Amino acid sequence: MATGTVEDSSPNEVQSGSVASSIPFKTNSIRQGIHEKERHLVHSIRSVPQKFAHPFLVTDRADEKQLCISSRGLELNDFKLLKTLGTGQEHYATSRALVALLPLKNQEDKTKVYALKVLRKADVIKLKQVEHVRNERKTLVAVNGHPFITNLAASFSDDLSLYMLLDFCPGGEIFTYLRRSRRFNEETSRFYAAEITMTIEFLHDIHGVAYRDLKPENILLDADGHIKLVDFGFAKQVGNRETYTLCGTPEYLAPEVIHNSGHGLAVDWWALGILIYEFLVGQPPFWDQNPMRIYEQIVEGRLRFPPNMPPAAQNIVSLLCKTNPTERLGYISGGSGRVKAHPFFAEVVWDDLFYHRVKGPIIPRVSHPADPSNFEEYPDSDVRNQNVYTDDLKKKYEPLFSDF
Amino acid sequence: MAESSNSFPGTNPFINTNTEKSPNIQKISEEEEIEVTSPTDMTFRQANAGDSGDAGFGGSAFNEGSQDGGPGASFFGQSPFGTGAASGEGEEEGGLGALPTGSAQHGFPNNYALGRRTSVSAESLNPTSAGDESWSPPYHPKTDDQLARLRTAVSGNFLFSHLDDDQFKTVLDALVEKPIPAKDIKVISQGDAGDYFYIVENGHFDIYIHPSGSVQPGPGGLGNKVSSTGPGGSFGELALMYNAPRAATVISTEKSTLWGLDRITFRRILMDSAFQRRRMYEAFLEEVPLLSSLKPYERAKIADALDAIKFPAGATIITEGDPGDAFYLLESGEAEALKSGVSVKEYHRGDYFGELALLDEKPRAASIVTKTEVKVARLGRDGFKRLLGPVEEIMRRTEYQFDASKSPTAS
Repeated sequence: MATGTVEDSSPNEVQSGSVASSIPFKTNSIRQGIHEKERHLVHSIRSVPQKFAHPFLVTDRADEKQLCISSRGLELNDFKLLKTLGTGQEHYATSRALVALLPLKNQEDKTKVYALKVLRKADVIKLKQVEHVRNERKTLVAVNGHPFITNLAASFSDDLSLYMLLDFCPGGEIFTYLRRSRRFNEETSRFYAAEITMTIEFLHDIHGVAYRDLKPENILLDADGHIKLVDFGFAKQVGNRETYTLCGTPEYLAPEVIHNSGHGLAVDWWALGILIYEFLVGQPPFWDQNPMRIYEQIVEGRLRFPPNMPPAAQNIVSLLCKTNPTERLGYISGGSGRVKAHPFFAEVVWDDLFYHRVKGPIIPRVSHPADPSNFEEYPDSDVRNQNVYTDDLKKKYEPLFSDF
Repeated sequence: MAESSNSFPGTNPFINTNTEKSPNIQKISEEEEIEVTSPTDMTFRQANAGDSGDAGFGGSAFNEGSQDGGPGASFFGQSPFGTGAASGEGEEEGGLGALPTGSAQHGFPNNYALGRRTSVSAESLNPTSAGDESWSPPYHPKTDDQLARLRTAVSGNFLFSHLDDDQFKTVLDALVEKPIPAKDIKVISQGDAGDYFYIVENGHFDIYIHPSGSVQPGPGGLGNKVSSTGPGGSFGELALMYNAPRAATVISTEKSTLWGLDRITFRRILMDSAFQRRRMYEAFLEEVPLLSSLKPYERAKIADALDAIKFPAGATIITEGDPGDAFYLLESGEAEALKSGVSVKEYHRGDYFGELALLDEKPRAASIVTKTEVKVARLGRDGFKRLLGPVEEIMRRTEYQFDASKSPTAS
């Protein structure tokens, strides 16, 4: 949602912006002779120079981009903070997201609703998340405008904290709906899996970005029941190279991440397999109370399916959850196109989802634009034991936060 | 250590395990027969009871509920796994007491923890690149006896079992001796940040778990003694992955000796060797004319798909006349090509052979026999095709002309 006002829905904007072109990638005369497959492969790793029409570029949304650039003028006092929507890294409380109201200038009676993600600088440093926070902001700026990714409206900072101002997505987490209903039926699972697939495709093929933390907790629903991927704290532009820092969520970690043998875009396809499994079964395929046993099961990679799980679903999960990334659907020849062509997605009309021409299988109850009731309750932040942003830290790290 | 009561991972004290509830799937399937009766489920039903208007936000919370009973309608029937669908996996747990996990309170009959899951991450690591400040792994000399014991101690640990010989040796060399001079010394405390993994060389340790999740002040603050460990035992391996709070407290019961390994050293050893190997393979692949039109990222994918295989001296890697199915890079050692028993070419580090097998399975034109111990990196035709499509298409890009006379394995 562009503004957080529920009525002012983004589907219209999406459609108006979609007029442009159905050609997946820019073609110019020099390139035309090149084999189709190669072009696809080339584009699957190189981020394409910005701002020509392709179906992923929804609209330029000049107002928001503007906000993105000129956000230094914002400060926390501009906002009225309403309620905590979530906390990151619960043991340590690195980040906290709140519903925030921004009164519009010259229109005293009007406000815009946002989610405000607050990261205390001292915590970020203590938890060694400086690089991740910088990646998050950078990635969100780069991918702004995709219908299934939460938009970064602005970022700013003050002496103590970094702030990312994001569209407020009132439907809450898919996680909440999944746990409440225990498991999703095939239709519902397919719908969300399809939208996630398109999001991964976009991140990988256009931006070379690995998301690295796919799970129901990080997928929100907008007012129409479409998804919004949030929390890009682990997203990283990896392109064709591998990266080594272990990150993610235990149940969703790919084997190569556990082995520290270098990982890349393929980790998101693994996680998609886990996600589809969890949607349909109600719990992820590899689980134990002891995290080391989870990891042991993951690297072993032996999947067990409920006998009445549809064969196509079993098949796509087992193709996505190949322990060897060079055998994994999505990473192998054909890339994301092969995922979308899988029989599990046979009934999906991809454009209808992308352009929000259909509503999602679950329509959240939203009583007003800033309604936080679909989010779980979180305790107020504990001001004790907070890390202190000392002058020494400031000297060392402040330049790294200058992007905000 | 395999027979020790503290063998990894079943009874490792540093990780939450639960004796009562075996997490295998059979258990789940049996218990799923029971109808779900959680409060959250009730919420769902209420929410779903509203009218099913498809617009507006105050109407039905679950649009599809009106059609099929809700998103959670029994797609799988009551039991997703069916009764007795899974064989017991022998996941019996050892002697640790129950730990606080909170999974039971959610009202679901199986023991899957339904709470929101926390992300984890380790320190950001970047490979030592050439020219940069160089890092070499710590080297702490050990006797052959000690090495053998350490090898045994970690043999059941999956974090070590996939290491190749060189990596394994480097990791063992990096273990540092940690003398524990007396009894009653807390090696690790429940709830503290985890940094080191430990193997017991000699002495004994008791393991305590406090139900609150961390050590409390005052008497009894350690919680209950749940286990003990001795020579060959190990604990704290989760710390090799990321910084998670310690799940138990370990206290010496006598003067002891430990071997310790910290996460950054461990992960750095793995990373650096993986990084170097990838770059080496990529460099080797660059020299293969058949693959000269590969884009760098395609070469990286191929490098990722290569399997390292070792051969002793005198072994035959490829047999003349056999159908070709794989391509090889010579990583170390020496080999020669033999045609009808006559040596026609020698191979050294960085050389390759059998590349025509990527095109088709024509019979091998020569045998490749090792002259020394040899390490090769192998890529099958199927693996190549799966990753990048048929090699013909890639060759066509630059109209690669193959000169059969240059390769003795050509037919």
